[in-house]
Amino acid sequence: MHAVIINGSPRIKKLSNTDKILEKFTAGMTENGTTFEQYEVSDKKQWEDIRKAFYENTHILIAIPLYVECIPGLLLEFLETLSPKNDETEIAFILQSGFAEGIQLRCGETYLKILTKKLGCKYAGTLVKGDNFSIRWVEEGTAERVTAPYTEMGCEYAKTGGFESDKCKAFTGPEIFSFPLRVMLGVVFAVFAKSGFKKISQGVGCTKPLDYKPYK
Amino acid sequence: MILIVNTTSDTSLTEELKKHTISKEIDVVEAGSMNIGHCIGCNYCWLKTPGECSVKDDYEIILKKAVHADELWVISDTALGFIDHKGKNIYDRMLPIATMYLKFKGKQMRHVLRYKKKTDFGLIITGEADKEYLERWLKRAALNLGSKSLGVYEKEELTEAIACMQ
Ligand SMILES: Cc1cc2nc3c(=O)[nH]c(=O)nc-3n(C[C@H](O)[C@H](O)[C@H](O)COP(=O)(O)O)c2cc1C
Repeated sequence: MHAVIINGSPRIKKLSNTDKILEKFTAGMTENGTTFEQYEVSDKKQWEDIRKAFYENTHILIAIPLYVECIPGLLLEFLETLSPKNDETEIAFILQSGFAEGIQLRCGETYLKILTKKLGCKYAGTLVKGDNFSIRWVEEGTAERVTAPYTEMGCEYAKTGGFESDKCKAFTGPEIFSFPLRVMLGVVFAVFAKSGFKKISQGVGCTKPLDYKPYK
Repeated sequence: MILIVNTTSDTSLTEELKKHTISKEIDVVEAGSMNIGHCIGCNYCWLKTPGECSVKDDYEIILKKAVHADELWVISDTALGFIDHKGKNIYDRMLPIATMYLKFKGKQMRHVLRYKKKTDFGLIITGEADKEYLERWLKRAALNLGSKSLGVYEKEELTEAIACMQ
C-alpha cells in the first residue's frame, strides 16, 4: 500500500503535535513495506501538490487536531478547493485533541463521515485520541511517552487500511473519566497545573497573569 | 448587546435583520469584506500575550465586541456539509476568550473562561448543509465557552431567528 498523508494542522510542521504523532505512526506503518508521502496544509505552497496526490492516489490519511469541536478553518479552506472523486478512494483519519476524554472528540469524528461522503470517497475509520496538548510544550522524553503508542496504530493501519479494528477503537481510552479520577484531576488542575503553565509562559517571555483581561 | 457577524458578502440579510430588530440593541459587523485569517495555533493568546491574538487583522474588532455580547450570531455560507472556512475561522479565533486553565464542568473537562460574560451562539446559514449535524456542533461549540446554543437557521427562517434574539 502507498498512503498519502495530509497533516491538517494550521501549525507549522516544526511545532505541530500532529507531526510528532505522525512521526511515530509512520514508523509503525512502514515496518512491512507500506510507503507514504506526507504533506502539510499549514504550508500553502504545498496545496497544489496535495491536490494532485489526492486525485492520483486511493489511500488517503488525514491527520487532524480538533479545532472547536470540528476541523480547523484552514483545513476546511483547503478541502473546499477539492473536487469530489466518486471512485474507490478510501480516506482514514487520525483525530487528536487537547481534552483527554473520548467524548470530547465524537462530534468532530461524526463530521469526518459527512466530509468523506462530500468528497466522494469511502470512509475507512478514524483513530480517536485526546490528551495531546502538551506534546509541543514538554521535553522530548515526556512527549515521547504520549506519542509512542501511535507506532502500533501505524502497524494496524498498514495491515487493514483503516481504523475499524477493535484495537484501534480501544486506543481512545475512556469516554468519560470516573468520579474519583475527576476529583483527583480537579486538584491537579487547581494546584500543580497552574504553576506548570506559569513556568511555560514565563519561558516564552510572558509578563502578565494567564487570566489577564485585555478588553475590560 | 446582540452581535451579528456576517461572513458572507451578501448584505441583504443583515439589512433585513436591521429592519426587524429596531427595538433591540444589535451591532452588525460586515466581516465579508474584512481581512480575517485563520487561527495559526500559536497558543500566544494563552501563554505569551494572554487574551490577545497574535494574528493582527480585522478579527480584533470582533473579539473586542464579543467579550461584551450577550449573543453572537454568525451568518455563514456553507461548504462540505458544514459552515464554510470563513464562518469556521470566526469560532476558531475565539480561543483568547478561554484561559489555559482547566476544570471539570459536569463530567467533562473545560477551560476556565477569561471573562464573566457568557455569550450564547446563534447561526444563520445561507447555503446547503447537514443542519442536524450543525445543531449538534453549535451546542458543543457553545459549551466550550460556558454558554448555550440558540439554534441553527436557514436564511429562509430569518423570522424564527429574529424571534430568538433577546
Ligand atoms: C483554535 C483551537 C481550537 C481547539 N479546539 C479544541 C477542542 O474543541 N477540543 C479539544 O479537545 N482540543 C482543542 N484544541 C487543542 C488541539 O486540538 C491540540 O492542542 C492539538 O494537539 C494540536 O495539534 P497541532 O499542534 O498539530 O495543531 C484546540 C486548539 C486550538 C488552537
